[in-house]
Amino acid sequence: MRFVLFVAALLFAIPAHAQGIQQTKGNYEDKFRQLDEVLPDANTYRNASGAPGHEYWQQKVDYTIKAELDESKRRITARATVRYTNNSPDSLPWLWMQLDQNIFRTDSMAELTDAFGGPGRRGPKVTLGSGAEPTKLSMDELRRQQAMADNQYGYDISAVTSLAGAKLPHTIVGTLMRIDLPAPLASGETTEFVIEWAFNIVEEDAVNARSGYEHFPDDPRKGGNDIFLLAQWFPRMVVYSDYEGWHNKEFLGRGEFTLEFGDYKVDLTVPSDHIVAATGTIQNPDAVLTAAQRQRLETAKNAKEPVFIVTPQEAAAAEAGNPKGTKTWQFAATNVRDFAWASSRKFMWDAQGVKQPGAENETVLAMSFWPKEGGDLWKKYSTAAVVHTLKVYSRFSFDYPYPTAQSVNGPVGGMEYPMITFNGPRTTLNKDGTRTYSLAEKMFLVGVVIHEIGHIYFPMTVNSDERQWTWMDEGLNSFLDSVAGYEWDPNMPWTRSLPRDMVSYMVSNNQQPIMTQSDSVTDLGANAYGKPSAAYHLLRDTVIGRERFDFALKEYARRWKFKRPTPADFFRTIEEASGTDLDWFWRGWFYTTDHVDISLDSIYRLKMDSKNPDIDLPRRREERAEEPEVVGIGLNRDQKLPIWVLENPGVTDFYDKNDEFTVTPKDRKGYTDFLEGLQPWERAAFDRAVKEDANYYVLNFSNKGGLVMPVILGLTFKDGSTEKLNIPAEIWRRNSREVAKLLVYPKGKELVQVVVDPDWETGDADLENNHYPRRIIPSRVEAFKDEASKSRVSRDLMGEAAGAEPDKKKK
Amino acid sequence: MIRRLLVLLALVLAPFGAGTADAHQQKFTISTVSFNGRTGMIEIAHQVPVHDAEHALVVQRTGNPNIHTPDIIGSEDSREAFARYVTRRFLLMVNGEIITPDYVGSEITGGSLWVYQETPAPEGEALIRLNSQILTDVWARQENRVNIGGGTAVTTFIFRAGDVPQAAPLPR
Repeated sequence: MRFVLFVAALLFAIPAHAQGIQQTKGNYEDKFRQLDEVLPDANTYRNASGAPGHEYWQQKVDYTIKAELDESKRRITARATVRYTNNSPDSLPWLWMQLDQNIFRTDSMAELTDAFGGPGRRGPKVTLGSGAEPTKLSMDELRRQQAMADNQYGYDISAVTSLAGAKLPHTIVGTLMRIDLPAPLASGETTEFVIEWAFNIVEEDAVNARSGYEHFPDDPRKGGNDIFLLAQWFPRMVVYSDYEGWHNKEFLGRGEFTLEFGDYKVDLTVPSDHIVAATGTIQNPDAVLTAAQRQRLETAKNAKEPVFIVTPQEAAAAEAGNPKGTKTWQFAATNVRDFAWASSRKFMWDAQGVKQPGAENETVLAMSFWPKEGGDLWKKYSTAAVVHTLKVYSRFSFDYPYPTAQSVNGPVGGMEYPMITFNGPRTTLNKDGTRTYSLAEKMFLVGVVIHEIGHIYFPMTVNSDERQWTWMDEGLNSFLDSVAGYEWDPNMPWTRSLPRDMVSYMVSNNQQPIMTQSDSVTDLGANAYGKPSAAYHLLRDTVIGRERFDFALKEYARRWKFKRPTPADFFRTIEEASGTDLDWFWRGWFYTTDHVDISLDSIYRLKMDSKNPDIDLPRRREERAEEPEVVGIGLNRDQKLPIWVLENPGVTDFYDKNDEFTVTPKDRKGYTDFLEGLQPWERAAFDRAVKEDANYYVLNFSNKGGLVMPVILGLTFKDGSTEKLNIPAEIWRRNSREVAKLLVYPKGKELVQVVVDPDWETGDADLENNHYPRRIIPSRVEAFKDEASKSRVSRDLMGEAAGAEPDKKKK
Repeated sequence: MIRRLLVLLALVLAPFGAGTADAHQQKFTISTVSFNGRTGMIEIAHQVPVHDAEHALVVQRTGNPNIHTPDIIGSEDSREAFARYVTRRFLLMVNGEIITPDYVGSEITGGSLWVYQETPAPEGEALIRLNSQILTDVWARQENRVNIGGGTAVTTFIFRAGDVPQAAPLPR
């Protein structure tokens, strides 16, 4: 009996992948199936239209921090009072914190799971060929290995206590720490605790950490100088959300951060000659700035161009000098999800006010901090790019929500935090002491500033979960930075991330859907930056249209400003606000790895049959006459073979004077009977069609890439005129593999050529099958050979023109 | 001293000193290897993000005394030097024979540096064995994607530092 049950269980077992709706006969694939079976159910926290629900809540965490930078030891020592407000309906027996610095411990999960041959591997490499290249370590790998071996990184947590000083039990789990509360924190209640910690600051160039110090050994000051960029520098509360509870996702390096909003008061004690840039605004300018600097800051608020707060001369003097003790810079920031800062005596500093009439922050200070290595490149373009970003992004979302927007140069290539960003591009030092830069470096600076400042909108304000979904902020931000880039200078070769730029990635068969957790994605740049950006360009310019797309994007930004959206909230909002069913689009672009390749396989031309034998039969005779002669008849003629009818001209009958197209009375009666058999409305339609004698074409398409797309047609007519026709993607709803479309044009308007996606809007992978009649499309290599590139935009023409020779040994 | 030692070890590439990936460097390339029936050639097109190429060039120290500055987009010398570096890091065998494809040229479009190579295709079937180690000696986290075949149907391999070669027949 038990055996029978076992067999029955096997027979009736349903494979895990076969849950839900199935096509159990035939091969119909519903590319338009609604996403509601995939998206989480709407509830009172997040409603079905993608907006925050009427009971939406999020936690609030306020931090009061006192931190000291030990410049010589490159070490931070700090103490924080954390005030946690439980706005959830749940009672919380414990709190979780993120200890991101612990990723740099040699026993961290990130280090231990750094797979051999994986993207973070640090072992010796193996190369193809026997002896063509020696086995070798990259310098990048070696430097990192040595830094990790020579230094002890990660947090030293010295105390976790109540305000009264009672120790709170805490358990460290990798980059996370659980703090057990004396009593569960009830809904609506607040708790406060104290945490003390210290850590050694990593060398950013060696460890690649999104923050750290950079050393300048060649500075005039004995021992050189450092720039310190501090981020992920304090224990931060893990998010507790309505859809995931505690977000206990170990920091593995790729997935960035998911954080709660709150208010910050931060005192930063640094060497007295340092300039500090930080999230928020300075609370004690009298103590840390000179009278002249404070006056310049006031002037900057109404300036039309950046004003120096710390001049190049002041920075040069500081760079060569030594501190006289320490100074404490006090900052405050309201409603931010993080706090980052930068400190160095090398910084010069400029500022310019950006006016937002009617906004909460009517004057925003756009500011930049950079060392002499940034040179004129930073002086001319950093703050200008900040100002430009605020203008463009605010148009697409909301007024910039904070009082400052800052760009700081240091060892980080590009990274974002509330009100402050770290940006890497610099000038080149030449042997004659001058500093120049290529046009490409200028483009990189403007591009990275736009991108990182743009992140203050997404995700610093529209607070999506970066640890889980990189694409949510990076995709939107890559899309908007390209929009802002073209509004800066349309002639610069910005990284466009249009569908046409993503073809080689999208056809590759070893990739993940965009809806994949950040740490599991290969080629994160293409997956989470480029592909979603291409999707938004396509939605905006082709599928939805600019006006409705921009309206929907703005609505998403408005709904989720200072709140935490999920992918479902984004998909639902754009769909609802644009009034477009986009489930097919999200499904194809975000949930699958399909690509676009629509082939125009054939075109059939149809003529309207008038049924009138006196019209149709002569027309058929003409068509027959246009057909090529049977080859054998021609060969017979060439051979001068005798033809019986020609040799017997006297023998004739009816058929010698009439062919198969001769009209007979029976034909005419049949026509009359046909007309009399029609209903009046049928007769009217028929008569009109005969009179109009239109051209009918049936176009047969096949979908070779899998992704359903609008069928965009470029039509060329015999008279030389052209038209563009956009057939919505819904044409594929009943058959996503092949479809036919009837096009009708008036008499005389004959179609001679059709091209699918003539403007390369969709990222179609195979252009040859887009053309009818077919034409040869040159490969990239062939096209290149035809026209060699002549670009000069990135050459350091400035340096070349001056005859300067770069100094390769110094920064 | 350690620097000198590593220059010897790493031969052509020095550490990247101007900043790191984070939100900007993509650290990936895509190469496409396809057969062109019209020309009878195997064509190779490498796509490298301009930003990565430019920053790699900062540290590349090509050994060419005429190249000093990072100017990947417009400077013929620099771009060509980097492009030739790309071709050196892309290793190809066709039907068991190590091939050095001809360098065709390079250009910049859509934020990418494109580097082109070609080599005559053998008669009949071609088994391609390859390894793309472009920039893996600069950045430990470099990922290189190679599509074998053109148009819609391709076979894709992903290579990272130290990976062994992969093989696939070349579709015609």
